[in-house]
Amino acid sequence: MMYDIGLTVFNGLAWAMATFLVAAGLTLIFGILHILNFAHGGFFMIGAYVSYTVMLAFGAGLPLWVFMIGAMAAAVVVGLLGWAVDMFVFRRLRDVEDAYSLIATYALLLVCGGAVQLIWGLNYLSVMPPPSLNSVVFIGDVFMPTYTIFVILSGVVAYIGLELLINRTQIGQLIRVVAVDPWMARLLGLNVTRIYLVTVIFSFAMAGVAGALLMPNQSLSPELGGIFLLQAFGVVIVGGMGSIRGAFLAALLLGMIESFGTYLFPQYPGIFFLLALAVILLVKPSGIMGKEQTA
Amino acid sequence: MIDYRVRFRTNLVIAACGLAAFAVVPFVANSGLLFLAGLVAINIVFGLSWNFLFSGVGLLSFGHAMFFAGGAYGMALITRHVPEMPFLLALVLGAACGGLIALVFGVVALRRASGVYFAVLTLAFSELIHILITKTTFLGRNDGLTGIPRPVIELGFGTLNLTSATAYYYFIIIAMTLVAVMMWCFQNAPAGRLLQAIRQDQMRTAFLGTPIQGWQLTAFVISGTVAAFCGAVMVPFTQIASPEIAYWTVSTQPILFTLLGGAGHFWGPAVGAILFGAIDYGTRTMHGLSEITVGVLLLAVVLIIPGGLLGLLKRRRAAASKSTRAETAGERTSETEAGK
Repeated sequence: MMYDIGLTVFNGLAWAMATFLVAAGLTLIFGILHILNFAHGGFFMIGAYVSYTVMLAFGAGLPLWVFMIGAMAAAVVVGLLGWAVDMFVFRRLRDVEDAYSLIATYALLLVCGGAVQLIWGLNYLSVMPPPSLNSVVFIGDVFMPTYTIFVILSGVVAYIGLELLINRTQIGQLIRVVAVDPWMARLLGLNVTRIYLVTVIFSFAMAGVAGALLMPNQSLSPELGGIFLLQAFGVVIVGGMGSIRGAFLAALLLGMIESFGTYLFPQYPGIFFLLALAVILLVKPSGIMGKEQTA
Repeated sequence: MIDYRVRFRTNLVIAACGLAAFAVVPFVANSGLLFLAGLVAINIVFGLSWNFLFSGVGLLSFGHAMFFAGGAYGMALITRHVPEMPFLLALVLGAACGGLIALVFGVVALRRASGVYFAVLTLAFSELIHILITKTTFLGRNDGLTGIPRPVIELGFGTLNLTSATAYYYFIIIAMTLVAVMMWCFQNAPAGRLLQAIRQDQMRTAFLGTPIQGWQLTAFVISGTVAAFCGAVMVPFTQIASPEIAYWTVSTQPILFTLLGGAGHFWGPAVGAILFGAIDYGTRTMHGLSEITVGVLLLAVVLIIPGGLLGLLKRRRAAASKSTRAETAGERTSETEAGK
């Protein structure tokens, strides 16, 4: 019994931190540009493929640092794509209705999926975790793959890093200012467009890193974009309008619900997350950390 | 203000022309293209049902696949388990399945969520139904329900044999035309105008004494029922109800059709569905190219031509007539100036 609970909590944590890695960039854009970015899943997928290509170039038996180089490459490539997306798409969505900007980001997701199919083909590709992460440790009786522990730690590090960035640095302060009132910020002489651009690049780079770090867990296919997307959407919305802390707590909450649900009813994986999402949204549509909407 | 009867006649002519164009297909195309044309005809009404919600009352649904799949699976279950049920009654019951899903979901969701939250809620609920289908043995799990027969309809004076693909194709295009015309009539009836008012200014319409949520729910159920009808009609054509039709990419199809064709125009989804079918067919040998083409087109629609294809045509025409009007007006002012 203790063993089962330990394992279920561990699985819940793994789900939560993997999803948080994807959701972090999503929530950043949602909080500041108020765009729910469907394409995030697509750029996550591109990050995974870029890192795959880098690792392929270095050959088999990869040490951890090659894996990290792959992640850096994914961050740079996807970050640059973010720059282009902000220049050509997001910047024009400022005055467009919410529904249309949601649809525009969906169009971007389609383009990402198509590009991946054209460049890397339709076949499933897969990568083993680096050997140093490809073992297991036992804590008590509980069987823990080191790679999963690595993912959990990455999630925690990403969360702490983001909190520090947003709350303790000057650029974080600027981002918060723009999120609250872009009009006033512009009036005070801040370069709001530049801050938006930095946010988007950063968010996209995080999508790329998430893709690279989570890749060894997945088989790479053009459908990858959609798989994490709904989970990340759920976490962002349950967390409340662009709140990093909310997204982190929501990821933990939903991860535990999903993990315990699947433990109790193993024939229905994936359902408990959706049920919890629906119930939470219905009870508190603004999310657990969100402010009540007035409209 | 154009007379309702004139507009009704114009749109009836458009529907009849569309029907005639689709009716020619079996004579000029092979069976593969015929199959595609049948699916496009179904997609047209599927798109209309989505746009009824989006442009009609202002609700963004990212979960229309749940209604489509509800209708398809309802129809498949009925034909498998109650084969003696008359075909048309089975279709109606299949459509009612989708209406029921819409009713249950709408009662809960419309009270709490709006805008983007509503969209994500529809997405989540639709995915829930997709997973439930793939995990339920009664619904055929990942394999779906196969071997759905095409019907032979007993009329009082004879039988109508729809077992061949061509015969069933004709049934599809006639049924879809009828539903499209009915939707046009509803959207232009007083109830449809009221929905339009809700979309344009929810608060003001509420002040005028309209129960907003009741009407939104009504629109949601109608849209769900029509989408489910499309699913129910499709099942005997493809002879299979598979879980892919509940996947969220199916929910985004009517969005693509509507925006490509033009959301502001009743026949926008029809133009979009045909265009989409053509792109899909034209790029079928190049994996990924169709997604890129459709994605770029969709982006262009949102960013550059918000009215879609029909909006573009309309704007061209308006600009043309405006320039001629401006010319005549210019002549007139110069005349008056000359008179002075």
